[in-house]
Amino acid sequence: MSDQRIFTRYRASEIRTDLQNIDIKKLKSSATKRKNALKKIIANISLGNYGEMLELLPEILSFWQIEDDFEVKRICHEYARSLGSIKPKITDDILPFVLQDLKSRNEHLQIMALRTLVFIPSASFTNEAFKFIISMVNRRNASEELTKTALFALIQLDDLNHNKVTDLFNIIHDTIQQRSDNPSIQVAALHTLYAIHEKHTDMKPLQITVESCFDLVERLSELNEWDKGLLLEALTTAVVPQTHADSYDLIDIVLPQLQHVNTFVVLNTFKFVIYLLNYVDSVSENIVKRLSNSIIALLNKAPELQFLVLRNVILLLLSREKPLLDLDVSYFFVEFNDPIYIKDTKLECLYLLANQDTLSQILEELEQYATDIDIQMSRKAIRAIGNLAVKLDENAATDCFNLLLHLLEFGVDYVVQEIISVFRNILRKYPDKFRSSIREIVKYTDAVQEPESKNAMIWIVTQYADFLPDYITVFEKLNSSFMEDPLEVQFSILNSSIKLFMKFPTPETKQLSGDVLRTCVDMVNNPDLRARALMYQRLIQLANSQYGPYAALDNSLHEIVDSNLPLIELNSKLDPLVLEELALNISSVTSVYLKPTSQIFRLNRTKFLPQSPVLLADKNKLTINDGPSFSRDRADSKAKSLPKRTPTMSDYDKPAEKVNQLRGKMKSSSSSPSKLVRKPSMLMKRLSMKRPF
Amino acid sequence: MKTRHLKLFNSYVPYQSENPRNLVTNKVISIMASAVYFCDSKGYPLLARRYRDDIPISAIEKFPTLLSDLEEETNLVPPCLSYNGMQYLFIQHNDVYLVAIANSMSANAAQIFAFLYKLVDVLGNYLKTVEEESIRDNFVIIYELLDETMDYGIPQITETKMLKQYITQKSFKLVKAAKKKRNAARPPEALTNSVSWRSADIKYKKNEAFLDIIESINMLMTQKGQILRSEIIGEVKVKSRLSGMPDLKLGINDKGIFSKHMDDDSLNNEGASVASSTTDKKKNNIELEDLKFHQCVRLSKFETEKIITFIPPDGDFELMNYRLSTSIKPLIWCDMNIQVHSQSRIEIHCRAKAQIKKKSTATNVQIIIPVPEDADTPEFKYSHGSIKYVPEKNVIIWKIRSFPGGKEYSMSAQMQLPSIGNIEEHKAKRPVQIKFQIPYFTTSGIQVKYLKINEPKLQYKSYPWVRYITQSGDDYTIRLT
Repeated sequence: MSDQRIFTRYRASEIRTDLQNIDIKKLKSSATKRKNALKKIIANISLGNYGEMLELLPEILSFWQIEDDFEVKRICHEYARSLGSIKPKITDDILPFVLQDLKSRNEHLQIMALRTLVFIPSASFTNEAFKFIISMVNRRNASEELTKTALFALIQLDDLNHNKVTDLFNIIHDTIQQRSDNPSIQVAALHTLYAIHEKHTDMKPLQITVESCFDLVERLSELNEWDKGLLLEALTTAVVPQTHADSYDLIDIVLPQLQHVNTFVVLNTFKFVIYLLNYVDSVSENIVKRLSNSIIALLNKAPELQFLVLRNVILLLLSREKPLLDLDVSYFFVEFNDPIYIKDTKLECLYLLANQDTLSQILEELEQYATDIDIQMSRKAIRAIGNLAVKLDENAATDCFNLLLHLLEFGVDYVVQEIISVFRNILRKYPDKFRSSIREIVKYTDAVQEPESKNAMIWIVTQYADFLPDYITVFEKLNSSFMEDPLEVQFSILNSSIKLFMKFPTPETKQLSGDVLRTCVDMVNNPDLRARALMYQRLIQLANSQYGPYAALDNSLHEIVDSNLPLIELNSKLDPLVLEELALNISSVTSVYLKPTSQIFRLNRTKFLPQSPVLLADKNKLTINDGPSFSRDRADSKAKSLPKRTPTMSDYDKPAEKVNQLRGKMKSSSSSPSKLVRKPSMLMKRLSMKRPF
Repeated sequence: MKTRHLKLFNSYVPYQSENPRNLVTNKVISIMASAVYFCDSKGYPLLARRYRDDIPISAIEKFPTLLSDLEEETNLVPPCLSYNGMQYLFIQHNDVYLVAIANSMSANAAQIFAFLYKLVDVLGNYLKTVEEESIRDNFVIIYELLDETMDYGIPQITETKMLKQYITQKSFKLVKAAKKKRNAARPPEALTNSVSWRSADIKYKKNEAFLDIIESINMLMTQKGQILRSEIIGEVKVKSRLSGMPDLKLGINDKGIFSKHMDDDSLNNEGASVASSTTDKKKNNIELEDLKFHQCVRLSKFETEKIITFIPPDGDFELMNYRLSTSIKPLIWCDMNIQVHSQSRIEIHCRAKAQIKKKSTATNVQIIIPVPEDADTPEFKYSHGSIKYVPEKNVIIWKIRSFPGGKEYSMSAQMQLPSIGNIEEHKAKRPVQIKFQIPYFTTSGIQVKYLKINEPKLQYKSYPWVRYITQSGDDYTIRLT
């Protein structure tokens, strides 16, 4: 019984005959046929065949009335939703049927009807939806599913009538605070508020009290995975810890969620913990380890999730001077089978993780990638090596430089292009260090083709002409295809020829610069280039007239043509405010682009850390304890505060026979940090001793 | 002095339309996915479910162009695209794309990706394979599932077992549906229980639980035998066929789990020195990093007592997974020696060694050796197994059905290279890949000590079963230099 034929375009009349056929006899085959006909309608709507399907409205309505089969109802609602938002005309006809379903005793049908009401943007539908939600809230005995649907519906209704929704805020707040309620409903209510606050930049950010926050997180274990994630997401910035103990307790409660299998939960837990760490002054090494390990574990997920995690790792590495995470570089080594976007991002992580200790390891890897078959990858690896040379200290630069020289020997075309480009940057940073290798580099003059590398080569030749007795020949070579070169190369040739002339005012350089100037003025079509050449020409004429031919040129001319270049620096650091916002957006799309939402869309709300007496002004002041010292201090406060806040343990979470024993043990276990995470090296010793392979 | 900034290498800049007037300025920003689409391999939509009315209907029409544009420009297509303020997040499965569109950057990407994967998982249980054809054939059921699993862009129930109770695959058989009509329409009781992943009225004649412990080894080695990276990824899979609401307790010889009991011991006889207990008792216990549990495991209980307790969902599920990053010795090691005499021939010598216990045997060993694309006329010499040249993939595959521990096998191959051709063409650095399975063995040494099954009401007899297997992961490779 394939639906294949269903998925083709039909005319309204064809389906109509299908539908009418079966009213005569009530055989089961005809019932199937009728249902197939209905399915054809939906398929055609999916295909965009709206006009034809609109004609079938009377048939749909007749079925809606008589049929109480659930699937048919579903199709009717689907029809109403799809066409209702496109053709508002028909909505009035549909409304009574939807309302009839809303009154049904069948909860599932009610949910469906409510969703249809909300989906169709017509005033009469919206009003009915509000009416229903208000009456339902007042009854307070509706089922979980229905209540949740109603709460989520408010997010949608808010687009249509914001004021009416704000009137309901008090009731929603009450829902969050009612402990007796199903926690899933509490979360739905919280999420609704959160989502509405996020939508309106003119509203203050959502805030809930520390007490209700504790109430909620203590019921984490009763929630399903998606609700857990929603809760943790909404709590970030919504709850403001007032004391260090608040933050520590919250961290303790949510930390186990890092072991959840669902990445959504893990990343949101992660975000929440990172957020809370702004409200403490020290953190135990144990927590850092747990955070780091959970990140590493996420790298085994599906590529898309891995990608997201890696992007967030970059963010976290950038966000503090001393990274909060302790990650081993080997996890970021590129695998042969990784998709390209993962390779790319791993490369970026490696770059950020590099320091004196890890450099040799990373360079070895990068060398591998640089000779990779994938051209993009190879280029990026070379770029990374060059950037590392600029980023790290002089010794590191030497290592990088030597590696690049070694790679240059392969002589593969695109490798050479890329290496020459990055050499320029290294030479800018260390102008005097690598003079001895200039000759080696200049050998590749013939190989440079791409504008960037050609520009780089021209710059290198000009800058280090002192060390090149044959600089004129080399420069002539670069100049040979002037008319075919792209504009940026032409500019750089023009500028460099003048520079050479000023450095060595000999007849050869005069000839050279004169040729270039003439070509620019006489032959080139681009007005900017011509203007620049004319400017140089006049400057030189001016200088010549004042001081005689080839004499020392005017200082100001020097400054214009060949002034000292500014230092170069890699802009790996972002603005602290931006970083703060990004850290609150862990796991969102923003974190992929590493751009603050407010920069891209004005309309988005900027997240910021709410004020609190314990807000840590400077992130980098957060100290990492190497022992479990603070967790012992906390054990006392926790022992005092926790039982008070958890008067009832949920039965499911702690089977009855265990609860009493538990009380005694809890202290001892929470005072010693989790023993799960230990050094793999220790384990290895044991493993290898006990189990020789 | 002003400092100039260098661009970090190609970071992902949102792909924006050039003309700012094109930007759809939505007055409403939502933080969840607004729609989910199933698209074919080119990116054209097959099915759509719009959860919110805040993105233009035409938004998805841009998706195929975005894909092909990016593929043309760079060969780099990240799983998030941004266009006109719309965020396209997608995953690929077989020949379909699952695309979620959100209209704001603050949309939670982790949630969306996790949901899309869950959706594929759920659909896999309904349709066997999730591909273009099966999606077209079963669109009604997919619509139903999309309705149930997500509400206004917020994920809802995603447990297949729960969904199957009221979305049945045979729903198009009207007779059956009509009979069940009243039951089917009501959401099952279990939805409102605190145990959302199991319904109460499950019955089996014979109560059994099967545990599979599967360890995958990922290793990256150099030709010289240097180990660049190694890790063990473990999974504990459970197939539960148990009646009622059983409460299970799993004991594993993990130190993290067992040290708790040891603490108890040392508390009992307070004089006992900690040192002796650590040396004597902990020897047999291994230690797992990064445990991840299925949602049924009581995490808080695990946190405080280090005991894994859970009420399992019915049927197959993954109870937990873990990761150990330790430098282990390669289980199957190959000494590779490849000599390329350019323009004439390539010689490959390979000596494989099973560095596992004498008692164990590796099965289905495959050593996949890359050869140049233009090589031909292979000649092989080998002691064991079989060798095949697969020209489509440009590899030689050496298969050894069973490879006992401690044994050493070798092979040599020679292939001709064309006499003309580009000399010193840039070679693809493909690694040698090794695949294997070692039954009844776990590399980490993890062992199940007990699995207690307790159903408070029914008190039936139950049978737990355990199997162990170690296998190569996706990346068990030797890099060639």
